Amino acid sequence: MRAEGAVAGEFILDIQAMTKRFGGVTAVNNCSIRVPRNIVAGLIGPNGSGKTTLFNLLTGLLRSDGGDYFYKGEPMVGLTPHEIFNRGISRTFQIIRVFREMTALENLVAVSRDGDLGGVRRRALELLDFVTLLRLKDEYAGNLSYGQQKLLEFVRALMSDPEVLLLDEPAAGVNRTLLNTLLDRIRQLRGQGKSILIVEHDMKVVMNHCEKIFVLDYGELIAEGLPEEIQRNEQVIEAYFGHK
Amino acid sequence: MSKRALEAPAAPAPASLAEELPAGKAALQLAAIALSLFSFVLWPGLVNVYQISFVFFGLQYVVLASSWNIISGFTGYVSFGHVAFFGIGSYTTAILVAKHGWPWYLTLPLAGLLAVVWAAFIGFPCLRLKGPYFAISMMGLNEVLRVVALSWESLTGGGLGITMPNAENSVSTYYAGLAVAALTVAMCYAIAHSRFGLRLAAIREDETAAEAMGVPTTRYKMYAFMLSAFWPGVIGGIVAYKLLYIEPDSTFFIAITVNMITMAMLGGKGTVLGPVIGAAILYTAQELVWWYIPWLHLIAYGAFIILIVLFVPRGIMGYLIDRGWVAKGVIQ
Amino acid sequence: MAERTPGWVYAVYLALALAGAGLPLALAWEGFVGWLAQARSMTSLAVTLQVLASGILQGGLYAVIAMGLTMIFGVMRIINVAHGEFLMVGAYMAFVFFMMLLPEELHSLFTSNLGMAILGVGVFLLICLPLMFLFGMGVQRLLLNPVVGGPELTPLLITFGLSLILINTFISVFSSDFRAIPYMSGALVVGNLALGYPQVISVAVSAAVTGGVFGFLKFSRLGKAVRATAQNADVAMVCGVNVERIYLYTFGFGTALAATGGVLISIQLAFSPEIGGIYILRSFAIIILGGRGNYLGALAGGILLGVIEGFISFFVSQGSQLQELAAYTLLVFMLLVRPQGLLGGIADE
Repeated sequence: MRAEGAVAGEFILDIQAMTKRFGGVTAVNNCSIRVPRNIVAGLIGPNGSGKTTLFNLLTGLLRSDGGDYFYKGEPMVGLTPHEIFNRGISRTFQIIRVFREMTALENLVAVSRDGDLGGVRRRALELLDFVTLLRLKDEYAGNLSYGQQKLLEFVRALMSDPEVLLLDEPAAGVNRTLLNTLLDRIRQLRGQGKSILIVEHDMKVVMNHCEKIFVLDYGELIAEGLPEEIQRNEQVIEAYFGHK
Repeated sequence: MSKRALEAPAAPAPASLAEELPAGKAALQLAAIALSLFSFVLWPGLVNVYQISFVFFGLQYVVLASSWNIISGFTGYVSFGHVAFFGIGSYTTAILVAKHGWPWYLTLPLAGLLAVVWAAFIGFPCLRLKGPYFAISMMGLNEVLRVVALSWESLTGGGLGITMPNAENSVSTYYAGLAVAALTVAMCYAIAHSRFGLRLAAIREDETAAEAMGVPTTRYKMYAFMLSAFWPGVIGGIVAYKLLYIEPDSTFFIAITVNMITMAMLGGKGTVLGPVIGAAILYTAQELVWWYIPWLHLIAYGAFIILIVLFVPRGIMGYLIDRGWVAKGVIQ
Repeated sequence: MAERTPGWVYAVYLALALAGAGLPLALAWEGFVGWLAQARSMTSLAVTLQVLASGILQGGLYAVIAMGLTMIFGVMRIINVAHGEFLMVGAYMAFVFFMMLLPEELHSLFTSNLGMAILGVGVFLLICLPLMFLFGMGVQRLLLNPVVGGPELTPLLITFGLSLILINTFISVFSSDFRAIPYMSGALVVGNLALGYPQVISVAVSAAVTGGVFGFLKFSRLGKAVRATAQNADVAMVCGVNVERIYLYTFGFGTALAATGGVLISIQLAFSPEIGGIYILRSFAIIILGGRGNYLGALAGGILLGVIEGFISFFVSQGSQLQELAAYTLLVFMLLVRPQGLLGGIADE
């Protein structure tokens, strides 16, 4: 049970009873999730269980029909997406949304915070170098391969040095080598004190790399815990495979 | 790979976003700009009044096409009624000069400012419309202005228009037009080479993603729209004074909107140089056809628009980029 | 997208837009009431009815034109700026048919005999509409097919270029003088109402064509495919609809509807190659009023606009400009308040 007097700041994200309805369908239903600081957490669930909707609520792209959420103890509901981003929550998208007719470099610089352009450029180049895209910095993002676009989106989300990173299916469609690079990077970010929430269908990735896992089904949180606990959880198995 | 990428850069970085040009190339560019400006400055001393006017109206289209390019080329919101700002500027200057005896050059800041005010006023609700709806709303609002100018006879003279007192103006308006064209292009250059410009392009490419990545889209669209309205207002004032007569139908004329769009497309929208090149080529071509085969003029123009859109939708700059002669991206 | 606008700002804009649309109406109402106070007799009711009826007749014509436009906008998401010129082409086809191809002795047939007049228009439409249908298909095939689904600017410019070509070609051939064809004059008298024959015939044809369009969309296999494509082209394609062919037919139908409007205009008004512009923006207002791809909405919007304009032009001096102002502010107002239209159009994404 939630301790009402929990120290603000113990949890980086404190989602309280959030709800989102589309017409008659309740995509996220009274969902409460508390993400501790400095963690790699997984958010899993069958297709249509409301994971992406939850991300859209957290980043302000959708307006919730109820509930509240706090980032570092501050209420975030009602802020515009760019305000939420500027507080330090960044994301990637399930369906790639790079800026296609801008170069890879421009993609990164466009989303940087205000400040010295030279420094921004240097940081962008380093990030591109890290995901092995440096030689493609002046190529249109739309001309990159699927996996490359995915990586570009990943580093674009890092450009502003966010505290919380929401990754929507980062592994899908990325080849093994690139995936390992990506996971390395996620571990590094964790080492620097960031909090990362990953929506992912690749269970190997989730079980091996997440310290804590939240399971959604029909928009409700049905389980949370360590990977091994989740693997044994009857309700989760039922949600994924139906009744025995 | 190191952690360094996530830390503040240690070494001093280049000040500009674009890569530093080799000194020789930069000097060459500077020289080209200076030379072309110089020849434009000399022009009125070398030629007759008709030829001064010819270049003046070309400059007018450089201003209009470049300004349209800010909201529609960079930001991706197709303004199909952009001549409205030109018209507002024209009427501001004409009314102040003819009825209140202002010196024409003092009216210009006000002409631009009123265009910006109107942009802010209509941009607020209209910029939330997407795609064709925005285009139609711009077209409709331009018609509203035209009809208002037709009906509000006490202010605008209605269909009879406004006649300003005669004046020797071809050289003065030429230099004013040249200055405004240079400033407009300089402004576009500054926008394209700033993070502001990149963020506008991000809005064009994917507004939702831009917003989610920290771009205050509503505010930025508004800024872009207001910036794209200012110089058309000013040049509208200059053109009104040059013609010394305006009336609603030829001022709020949809064909002027189409001209600026076609010019920007021909040169390459979303680039700084594109609208300038497009305006120069298309305007010259139009005048030539008009001069030699007037009856064919508009038919040929219609066909030309279709051909450009179908076969070189990304314009001359797009072609050069594809050939690798010009760098890709917002910044060239 | 989460847009958060303070309510009062929105209210201010609404009030201003309403004032823009309402001013001409208020003037019309003032004129109407003033006139009513003067007249104070049975004739006032009759005249009111007369204005109303004329408005409806005019609106029926608008509806046919707008229906073609909303069909194209609904199915292909293309703003066809050349729609007014397709209409003009229809009017000139009637001109060529009645004035050039028919021997002069036959003209009296259409000016004196009501039955022949109706028959004449009917027969002519049977010749004209298939031709315009083919013309529309040709335009779609050659010019628009490569750009459907692309950015909205492209078809906008292509159709604008096409309208420039059409207007100026027709000016070269027919000059920019106004033309008219000799047609049935006189009026049908019903009680106190006098309705001009051309207008009555026009509205009857409009009704028939509108009914035909509704029936076609509702019941025929092709019509259902058209509606499915308007809802979602990708899904329709997956379900076995040949979407490219549907686009072809749609543009053909839309063009034919515009031409129908043109023919109906030719029997009641004088026309020149430049009349398209009068109708195109009104049609935009109507289809936004009715909602994208909503045919019933186009019908209702057309009649509404016809009646509004009728009242303004009858009761306000300087009415023609105010008519336009009313149409355009109505357009902008609808876009701001209810871009999906009064009756709701096909949702965008």
